[in-house]
Formats: sequence, C-alpha cells, structure tokens
Amino acid sequence: MNVKKKWLSKLPLLLVLTVAALVWLLPMYTMVANSLKTQQEISRAQYYLPPQGLESQNYVTAFGILKQGLLNSVLVSVPATLIAVLLGSWSGFFLARMRFKYSQTIFFTTTIATFLPYQVVLYPLTRLLMTLNVINTRPGLILAYLILNTPMAMLITATFFQTFPVELEEAAALDGCGPVTFYWRILLPVGRLAIISTAILIFTFIWNEFLIAMAMTQGPLAQMATPVLAGLKGNYAQVWHIQMAGAMITSIPPLIIFVFLGRYFVSGLMAGTLKG
Amino acid sequence: MRYNRVHIVLFLAPILVIVLLLCGMIAWTVAVSMDNWVGMAPVWKFYGLQNYVTLFKMERFWGALQNNLIWMVAFIIPSAALGLLLAYGLTLSGRAETLFRPLFLYPLALSFVVTGTLWAWMYDPEAGVINNILRGVGLSGLAQPWIADPRQATYCLIMATVWQYTGFAMTLYLAAIRDIPVEIFEAARVDGASAIGIFRHIVVPNVTQATMVTIGMLTIFSLKVFDLVWVITFGGPGISTEVLGFFMFVATYRQAFVGLGAAISVIILILAIIVVVPYAWWSMKRLQT
Repeated sequence: MNVKKKWLSKLPLLLVLTVAALVWLLPMYTMVANSLKTQQEISRAQYYLPPQGLESQNYVTAFGILKQGLLNSVLVSVPATLIAVLLGSWSGFFLARMRFKYSQTIFFTTTIATFLPYQVVLYPLTRLLMTLNVINTRPGLILAYLILNTPMAMLITATFFQTFPVELEEAAALDGCGPVTFYWRILLPVGRLAIISTAILIFTFIWNEFLIAMAMTQGPLAQMATPVLAGLKGNYAQVWHIQMAGAMITSIPPLIIFVFLGRYFVSGLMAGTLKG
Repeated sequence: MRYNRVHIVLFLAPILVIVLLLCGMIAWTVAVSMDNWVGMAPVWKFYGLQNYVTLFKMERFWGALQNNLIWMVAFIIPSAALGLLLAYGLTLSGRAETLFRPLFLYPLALSFVVTGTLWAWMYDPEAGVINNILRGVGLSGLAQPWIADPRQATYCLIMATVWQYTGFAMTLYLAAIRDIPVEIFEAARVDGASAIGIFRHIVVPNVTQATMVTIGMLTIFSLKVFDLVWVITFGGPGISTEVLGFFMFVATYRQAFVGLGAAISVIILILAIIVVVPYAWWSMKRLQT
C-alpha cells in the first residue's frame, strides 16, 4: 500500500521526465527511422512515421562514400589516442604523485593548453605540418591530434591518479621500486580504469573532431569521416535517407562506446572538468 | 619514492615539449597578426596594429563577435538551467534515474557534423522534420522558416547545441546533488519542506561549484563554435550566423588573408584567456592538497 502510494506520488514527475526524454530522443528517432526508408517513402514526406521495411541499400550507398574516411578515422584516432594517453599518463603520474617545485606551474599551464580554442594555433599547426611534409597525410593528422590532446590526457589521468592512496608508493618504495618501474608495473595495471576512461574520452573527441580534420586535409586520400560526411551532406542535398544513413554510420563507434562503456565515458568527462 | 633530476626531465619531457610547442604557435599567431600577410607567404615586415584596425572597421567582425556573445548567453543559461532541473528531477525519480540518464546524455557522444547533418534537415523550411511534424499534428501556424530566417538562424543553431549539451550540465549537477549530505534533505523533509522548497533552499545553494564548472566549460565551448555553423548554415543566410571561429577560418583558408585571420585568432585568444586563466588557477588550487 505504502509502496503503491509512493509510486503514485511520483507519477507526475515521471510523466514530465518521459515527455522530456521523448523530445530528446526525437532527433535520434528521425535519424534511425528515415535512414531505413525507401526513396518513395521519403518522397511522401511523412518523416515522423516509422519505416515500412528495412532499406539497407541506403547504408550500402552511404558506406561506399564513407569507406575511406572511416578507415582514415580509425587509422588516425586509434594511434593518436594510444600515444596521447601513454605520454599524458606518463607525465600525469609524475605530476600527480611526486611533489616538486614547479608542479603547480606545469599543471596550470597544461590546463590552459587543454582548453585553448583550436583556432588560436590552427594556422601555425598547418604550417608546421607543411614544413614537416606531412600535411594531408595520416601521420600529420596523428601528430596534430597528439599535440592538441596530450595535455588533456595528462590532466585527466593526473586527476584520477591523485585519488589513489599514498600507500601504493610507500609499499613499492620499500621494495626499492623507482618511478619508472612503478609507472609500468604498478600504476598502469592498478589505474587501468582511469586509463580506459581517458582513452575512451579522447578517442571520441578525435573521432568526432571536424576543424583540424578539415583544415589539415584535402581530397579523399587522408580525409577523416567527419569532413567526408559534411561533403556527403552537400552532394546529397535533399536526399535525406542517404544523409541519415551516413550520419548513423559515422556515429556508430562513439555510440557503441556510449552504450557499452558509458560509465567510463562519464567518469572521464567528470575528471576532464577537474571535478575529481 | 625517491626520484632525481633525471626522472623529472624524463617524465615531464613529453608534456613540456608539447606545451612549449603550443606557446611557440601562439607567439607565431600573435606575430603574424602584425604582419601584412596576404596569399602564400609571410612578408615579415612590421605592420603594427593595422590588421586590428581593419578588423574593427569591418561590420562582419562585429556581427561575428555579437553572435559569439549571443551564443554565450542563449546557450549557457538554458543548458545549465535545464541540466539542473533534469538532475533534480532524476534524483527525485529514484531508480528511474538509471533509465533516463543516458537518454539525455547520448547526444554528447555524437559528432557536431552528425548533429549538424541531422538538425539541418530538422530545420529545413520546406522539407524539414520540425515543420513536417507541426503540419502533421495540425499546428501549421507554428511552422517557421527556422534557419532560412537571418533573425532566427543563430538561435536555431543554439537550440541544437542546447539539446546536445544539456546532458553534460545534468551529469555535473547529478554528481553535485549526490555530494549534498542526505541528512540535510531528510531534515528538510521532516520539517515539511516541499520538493520545490528543497530545490530552492538546499539544492541551488549547494551546487554553486558545479555551476561554476558548467558555465566555465560552456563558455569555452561557445568561443570555439565552428562545426555546427559550418555544417548547418555555412554562416548564412548572408553572414547572419557567422562566429569568430568561422570568420577566422574563412579569412585564413579560403581568402588567404592570413594576417587578418591571425588577428581574429588573437581576439579569440584574449576572450578565451578571460575564462580559462581563472578556471585553471582555481583548479590548480583545488588539486594540490
């Protein structure tokens, strides 16, 4: 009886939340539903209706256009993320766990570097890649993302590492373990959840990024999925079902991460805002 | 643990190299903003503040700056307010929280190019989803030109971003509300405080820190807006939705006014510094215990 009453008193709140959630889901519904419609269904202009069948041809068409871009995105995001997290956690560990004179200054500067709008360094970065002869190549993109994301990787991992108990080092120090051994043998395995959270967040950022991806590449050879999708939108103006299929395909990796590793995504995000 | 100078250099070298590189790039941008660089190569002849003077005489610059300010206000306030309300609602809903939370957070995982492609269609004045639905349910009076109307277009872009970022604010607020001691809520409930009273007198005053973080993060975001403008309106109709980040890109990469573009970058830098430096200072103080 009491339980039932409590539930009833929550009903208005749950209704409001449901309506809000439906509003939030509407764009996603639009994307999924219409990406599966045929040309005829789209031309009937009843976009709110669910698809009558599952028209996979849209996905075949969109995938054909995005193929190279998706491959480039994988070949850039994965190595850039791995190296950024490795370098970032390497420095982040030292900054978070060892006390020395300039640690605050370095932390302060890195925070600024993390939140710097890309536009401020965009053109010099382009020139740098041109000078190194890696403009419009995947290694060039990896280098650009490395420079821009390692500070964030450091900041997030340092935030996580700060919460680890001091005993961790004390025990290791008794066994005569130095910082390098400690980082490889103890911190990385013990802190793997922190590392995973950071990697997931940075991978999502790089996969979704557009400004650098567009400014540093031209043409299909090295272009990542986001500029290709933007191009698809222009070339398939008004061909909504193909556009939506392309948008869905581009979203698959981050959505998989969000659905299956959402907890890590959120904890990385929280650490990224320095609310450790 | 014992460490020496070699360790300091070894461990901090990666981050120091990158930070110095970024500082060098910023210095380069500032230098180029005082060079009359048009076309392929720099002339490296001191041009004084002439690029800035040119910029300040351009209506296009003031339009973009104004749009950035509109973004700050019209994007941050609704995102933060909705985020807080949702966070409180979810907290009150009890176990339903786990079900609802991802439904508000998932847009954050999507690329702006994806949301741009999607919302460009939602807003399309002729064949758009929103107008289609409004006409479908007999509310054709509410159908709008949306992004085709220069007076509305920026707000349309902002609305799409509010949709994408409210979940971010909500997540920060959920954590902040969870940090409020349960006894305070219980005491208030015993005293007969209503849900609204608790919200006003307990929740709002106790989440100021989350509000600071949210506002800081969203301000930084609204300074670098680029993708959505590029994908949805390309600055149009006319130049009505241009923002500084967009103008900088077009000036530098499309029109080869590199010196002028660098001057816009410096303006963005100054605006960013106003927000980022206090934020970094505050976070540094908090972290070193």
